[in-house]
Amino acid sequence: MADFLSGAAQIFTLATLIYMFAGSIAGIIAAAIPGFTVTMAIVLTLPLTFTMEPLQGIAVMLSVYVGGYTGGLISAALLGIPGTPSSVATTFDAFPMARNGEPGRALSIGVWASFFGTVISTIVLVFAAPPLALFAVRLGPWEYFSLIVFALTIVASLVGTSVIRGMLAGLIGLAISTVGTDPIMGRPRFDFGIETLQAGLPFLVVLIGIFAISQLVSEVEDAGTVRSGNALVTGTIDFQTWTVMKEVLMRPVNLLRSSIVGVLIGALPGAGGSIANLVAYDQAKRASRTPDTFGTGEPDGIVASEAGNSATAGGGLIPLIGLGIPGSAVDAILMASLMVHGISVGPRLILDHGDLVYGMFIAMVVASLMMLVVSVCSMRLFLRITEVPKWLIVPVVMTCCVVGTFALNNRVTDLYLLVFIGISGYALRALGYSLAPLVLGVILGPIAETNLRRALMTDEDPTLFLTRPISLIFLIAAVLSILWAIRNHTKSNKKKERFPDAPAS
Amino acid sequence: MSGSDLELKQEAGVIARLLSYLVLLFASVALFVSAIGIPTSRFEKLGAGAFPKIVFAAMALMSIVAVVDALRQISRHAYISFFAQAAAWTRRRYLVFIVLAAFTAYLFAIPFLGFSVASLVFLFGLQVILMPRRAKSILIAAVVAVVFSFGLNWLFAEVFNVFLPRGVF
Repeated sequence: MADFLSGAAQIFTLATLIYMFAGSIAGIIAAAIPGFTVTMAIVLTLPLTFTMEPLQGIAVMLSVYVGGYTGGLISAALLGIPGTPSSVATTFDAFPMARNGEPGRALSIGVWASFFGTVISTIVLVFAAPPLALFAVRLGPWEYFSLIVFALTIVASLVGTSVIRGMLAGLIGLAISTVGTDPIMGRPRFDFGIETLQAGLPFLVVLIGIFAISQLVSEVEDAGTVRSGNALVTGTIDFQTWTVMKEVLMRPVNLLRSSIVGVLIGALPGAGGSIANLVAYDQAKRASRTPDTFGTGEPDGIVASEAGNSATAGGGLIPLIGLGIPGSAVDAILMASLMVHGISVGPRLILDHGDLVYGMFIAMVVASLMMLVVSVCSMRLFLRITEVPKWLIVPVVMTCCVVGTFALNNRVTDLYLLVFIGISGYALRALGYSLAPLVLGVILGPIAETNLRRALMTDEDPTLFLTRPISLIFLIAAVLSILWAIRNHTKSNKKKERFPDAPAS
Repeated sequence: MSGSDLELKQEAGVIARLLSYLVLLFASVALFVSAIGIPTSRFEKLGAGAFPKIVFAAMALMSIVAVVDALRQISRHAYISFFAQAAAWTRRRYLVFIVLAAFTAYLFAIPFLGFSVASLVFLFGLQVILMPRRAKSILIAAVVAVVFSFGLNWLFAEVFNVFLPRGVF
């Protein structure tokens, strides 16, 4: 209790709260720009925290982190471009809802779901950090590989109108992930002698090219609407703060399930928010009585994705606090910041620096509250983006994508890759390939390969995948997931094929 | 649009997809063969080529299924009218090709002209191409072009210490 009060006393100082507020705004703005990630925003914050007290510094970084998860929602909903990998699933429903004339509602649902997701994950974190951390460390490569196989079956519910093209898109994603040095032995593969490809295709360049460039280009397909000066999103701009809060709270099961999914996936090192939003979305779709409405502006889809990705912020802290293992790049930076202050992160952290750990929990809740206040107050400003005509926003966002791509590695060659991937992305979109499975393949490919090979290096017996209980549970879940998808597709088989020139999902 | 026109248009789309499946089939077979050549290590049973082989084999199989499925849906008339339909599709989307060409030229110009100048030309040029041309719009486009080229460059250099390409001049 003394630790808790000491932590609270350090957080609730005027200076810390002001810094956290600024961090929230910075996180939201950074993640709202396509190509700028939460990680990048936190890296830029890190040097500023060196002069602060350890908890103050961590609190500011957590504010940027929590704000960043919400910022990704803005470009996902209004432009159909995921500002960060963790908001890929948000585009599926928030964007159609905004396009159907309800941009304010789409954003509001996302913001509230993010807020509740963070709060739920913090509550879980307080009670479950020690046992969950111990569970996560017991998983071997067999369990990880089976988990990824299960995650890959999610592709089945993201395929859009055609199962075949959806599967092909997922395989293209996996193929992209094999370019560059292999993750175990460092042997070069498929680089065709091109230096840029030797380290593999940078994931964010693929994400920006596939989603952002292809989406922006498809905005100008209809010359008539562009030339008439139409805006991207039309409709009444009404944020409906309290009505939407009730709407989100009326979906307690979805909210809780998605948050728990986020916490669990966040607790697994290496997985993180980029997968959590897709898994939570998939689970919500499966549990829904009207799965057909997903992808057309269904509020449940937005709630699932945003609650899922925000909950990973708390989940990611579980292995960090419990074991000293950073679950994601952001957690690694948080860990680095603690180490700069001479605090060693590991199982003894909670014993030696209890005030710091409880302070982090309190900072998470305060940060999410600040994110909510900043979002509610500034959303009208963000919604102004809907009034900007297409002829202006398309070139401007393209330039932002270019800056984001270049700033990742300071490499001009990444820009050439962006052109290539952007054109390929538009071609796939125009041909009716669903792009979400492709991104999932790129994310999961290296994790699947590493764990498959590591498992067989540890023990050549492949039956271990079936005889280790947790691995078996994941594999059974994968089989059930495929059977469920086949049943659903057989049911909706009579649906019309998409018109050849209709935009792809 | 008459029913048969719509049908031909849909079938032209299926032919376009069929071509994409054939490209994927060819690429996956070629890459599978190339993956066979990746040497294995004596420390490891699978080796660096194993996972790519699994992926490319699955891709080749799926492409074959897709090709067969597409061939079932296409009538003979569709092949005849394919090029006309494709040309009509391209004409309807002429702005897409203009934007892609401008974007490509912009990115290839950045190393030579520098970020600021290349962005200024790209932003102003593309806005003028896309906009309903009025004096007010042109003025807005000019201001936006300056802010998001020289302004963005200044912001990154001064605030974030990220230096965007300066060009050779």
